[in-house]
Amino acid sequence: MAEASQLFKEFKVQSVSEFFRRNAAMLGYTGKVRSLTTVVHEAVTNSLDACEEAGIPPYIRVEIEELGKEHYKVVVEDNGPGIPEKYITHVFGKMLAGTKAHRNIQSRGQQGIGISGAVMFAQITSGKATRVITSTGDEIIEAWVKIDVDKNEGKIVKKEKHPNPDNWHGTRIELEVKNVKYIRSKQGVYWYLKLTAIANPHAHIELIEPDGRLIVFPRSSDEIPEPPVEMKPHPKGVLTDDVYRMAKKTKRTTVRRFLVGEFSRISDKKVDELVEYIAALRLIKTVEDKSVQEQLYERLMNGEVKAVLRSFKGYTKVVKQVEKIMEKPPEKLTWHEAEEIVEAFKYMKFLAPPTHGLRPIGEENIEKGLMGILKPEFVTAVTRPPKVYSGGIPFQVEVGLAYGGEIQGGFDLLRYANRVPLLFDAGSCVTTQAARSIDWKRYRIDDPDRTPLVLMVNVVSVHVPYTGTGKQSIASIDEIYNEIRLAIMDVARRLQTYLSGKHRRLYQVKRKKTFEKYVPEIARALSILTGEPEERIRKYFLQFIESHFASKELVSEGTAVEVVEDA
Amino acid sequence: MPKSKALKREKPKEKFSYDPQKVLRKLEEYGRNVLEAIKAGKNPYFDIPMRGLNNVYFDERSRLIKMGDKLSRRYFLNVAHARKFMQTLLIMAYVKRLVAEGKHASLREAYYANKHTIPGTKENTFEDQRESDPIIEDLERMLGVLREEMHITADRRGYIYGDIVIRDGEDEFNASKLGSGGWAVPGTVEHIQFPEINVDYALVVETAAMADRLIEEKFPKREKALIIATQGQASRGVRRLIHRLHYEEGLPIIVFTDGDPYGWYIYSTIKQGSINLAYLSDKLATPEARFVGMTMDDIKRYGLENVTEKLKGIPPNKKGGPTGDYKRILEEMEYPWFQNKEWQRQLKLALSWGVRIEQQALANKSLEFVAKEYLPEKINSGDLLP
Repeated sequence: MAEASQLFKEFKVQSVSEFFRRNAAMLGYTGKVRSLTTVVHEAVTNSLDACEEAGIPPYIRVEIEELGKEHYKVVVEDNGPGIPEKYITHVFGKMLAGTKAHRNIQSRGQQGIGISGAVMFAQITSGKATRVITSTGDEIIEAWVKIDVDKNEGKIVKKEKHPNPDNWHGTRIELEVKNVKYIRSKQGVYWYLKLTAIANPHAHIELIEPDGRLIVFPRSSDEIPEPPVEMKPHPKGVLTDDVYRMAKKTKRTTVRRFLVGEFSRISDKKVDELVEYIAALRLIKTVEDKSVQEQLYERLMNGEVKAVLRSFKGYTKVVKQVEKIMEKPPEKLTWHEAEEIVEAFKYMKFLAPPTHGLRPIGEENIEKGLMGILKPEFVTAVTRPPKVYSGGIPFQVEVGLAYGGEIQGGFDLLRYANRVPLLFDAGSCVTTQAARSIDWKRYRIDDPDRTPLVLMVNVVSVHVPYTGTGKQSIASIDEIYNEIRLAIMDVARRLQTYLSGKHRRLYQVKRKKTFEKYVPEIARALSILTGEPEERIRKYFLQFIESHFASKELVSEGTAVEVVEDA
Repeated sequence: MPKSKALKREKPKEKFSYDPQKVLRKLEEYGRNVLEAIKAGKNPYFDIPMRGLNNVYFDERSRLIKMGDKLSRRYFLNVAHARKFMQTLLIMAYVKRLVAEGKHASLREAYYANKHTIPGTKENTFEDQRESDPIIEDLERMLGVLREEMHITADRRGYIYGDIVIRDGEDEFNASKLGSGGWAVPGTVEHIQFPEINVDYALVVETAAMADRLIEEKFPKREKALIIATQGQASRGVRRLIHRLHYEEGLPIIVFTDGDPYGWYIYSTIKQGSINLAYLSDKLATPEARFVGMTMDDIKRYGLENVTEKLKGIPPNKKGGPTGDYKRILEEMEYPWFQNKEWQRQLKLALSWGVRIEQQALANKSLEFVAKEYLPEKINSGDLLP
């Protein structure tokens, strides 16, 4: 007996690490460079999410320390709300626990299995427990966390408490990993954090590289994004199967209540309308003359449902029949009826899907992010209205463009899914295809490869359709492809106007205003400090701004930068 | 028993330097500079010493943690700087009013006092206290003055007891005649003066319980000592008070903490300053302070083996170590100011025995022991650590 249980134990031990090894690609732990990036990604994502949920402007510090050959210590510290003691194992140890993938919610954490994956990776490469120092503002808890492969859960191997006189709150985690490599490539940690900083202008991110170099990506926006919420599917995007399945599962008592309750943008009135459309479609199908039928379909598409109905004799009877469907219990809904509902949806008009579940970065914040990190001469951004693609899945495309200034070299495409940078498999990504399909010459860019141009594309969705398991490239779905193209063309047009001089002046006016608005405040303060009349000081400043903007058409600001990237 | 007093007041090295005019002059000077620049058609800026670890070093000569000379320049005409430039001036004007009117404000009050919507916009001058606090720190570094000198108060903690006369604004009183609770040190001690001092030295005590014990045993009176209770890590006010008592009044400073890494860290902060407040070290730190205990040698010497506690964490030679107290001790062994035979010896002993000893453990002998034997013996025979 003892032998058997021993065997079983070994089997289980093996199975968890086996699982990890076998799914390494899916979890992001392939390759020495990428594995390190994934570890940092999981920790930084946790930090950003925690700060957002608590409404704290994130201040994140990443430190990579080289301990030996392909052997590093990764330290990630944030100023988030901290983790209450009893949740530590839950946060860092829940291996393979329910992922967020099934929920209709937008999250950064769609990649991998989160921070517990990083803990596991550290454990199997270096054998070391992950050190967690956290505080919610009371005492500081220092814990060493491991994954108990036996029980498939987190385990604190050691714990200490420290006084916290300054009421520090936040979390610092230290992972020791082997078989990884730090390189400053476009797949590495540096590039990952740079891209993360652009997409999260509300965050201050610092990186200390193994050679001790400090790199700061300063905060450029004070706006903390709100955490995402769960959303209901939109009628324009659902398939028959979705409606049928949802009807079987719902707790609502009638089909009508089910439709109103479980879909977005369907009201009681819309259901009445739906009844008319279904009835109309049933009647149209009885018409034998093809050309008449076509005409009727077209009129229906134009919203003339009442007129279409009236053209049939005895249509009220059909309407009554359809009404009955709406009053039966949803689990009795047949496949055919679900099909009719979905077909009618195609002809009806609905409000656009609700955006409250999607969290785009926003045009202004993209501009701030690009401006703050890349320091270009021109920046613009477009956030397209939300759309749906097959399956009722809302998505939204954002494109930012930065041109000139301190941007070096040629064209660069920064790809994101839900704000998370995608660093691998660029070639197969829909964003790359869309960007390549643009005829840049039309926008005064003769040779994109030699133009200092950075394009960032962010695809926001509760469910991003990735290609392959790596989750590093987005599948080429027509609706998404088209939205990206439209957005790129939009920003490209703005670049064109800027380049042709018109936009340049508009842009200067906007910039001038950012200085002018502070002048009254500054004048009052300086008047208190120096005794000089406020009005006169104000004039000095306004004159200064005026002459500065007049003297140069293109303003290049003072040479000194607040953030020093020193070696 | 004839008492041989090893400690006496020394000659003061610094003068009472509280001068509201100095802060006012500096503020005006910086304001003038901005004004001159703008009149001359130049982009005005402030040069602010950078904060953080990479702008901090240990100065061997003064034996203080000091701020380096890296500066960041904050321009008016720079999209990324303009807002902070405005905020800096706002706080400067506020400080000028505070100091000129002789009023004090807390950090939070300073934030609310300056927060308002900028006319014609939806923007506030300060969105959050996290915006105003760093500006005040910037000013400390830029002007080289303490926040307290700018009349912005810090948290208060700690109290003192002993035969000295304190003048605090219009009040004047003897700190040994306020009852056994002593006198609570306020957040700002810049304006405090000491018309009369009848003690030979100041004894800085980590725990309030120990300070109370010494007061009850009449230690201050008998030994002519001033008790300063820090109640854990010393607050800015207490550190500044210690500094001033030493440099302006010539009082030798002796520190008495638990015999553990945390207690020794408290000592090190009093002595050399801290990394966070490196730019204030020459106003807050007292490198001449000395340490009476608890030491590892005390355990053997006074037979306290039974009342030690185990160090927390994993020792360096065990798997997963060193952590906790052990790690802390190893870190402290690296501190430049602990690079001497005596301290290295204590720290090594702590590591090899794996124990810590609390001040209160002395009660194991008797309640009076600490006041009548331990402290007088060690202090008067000069048995102190550097």
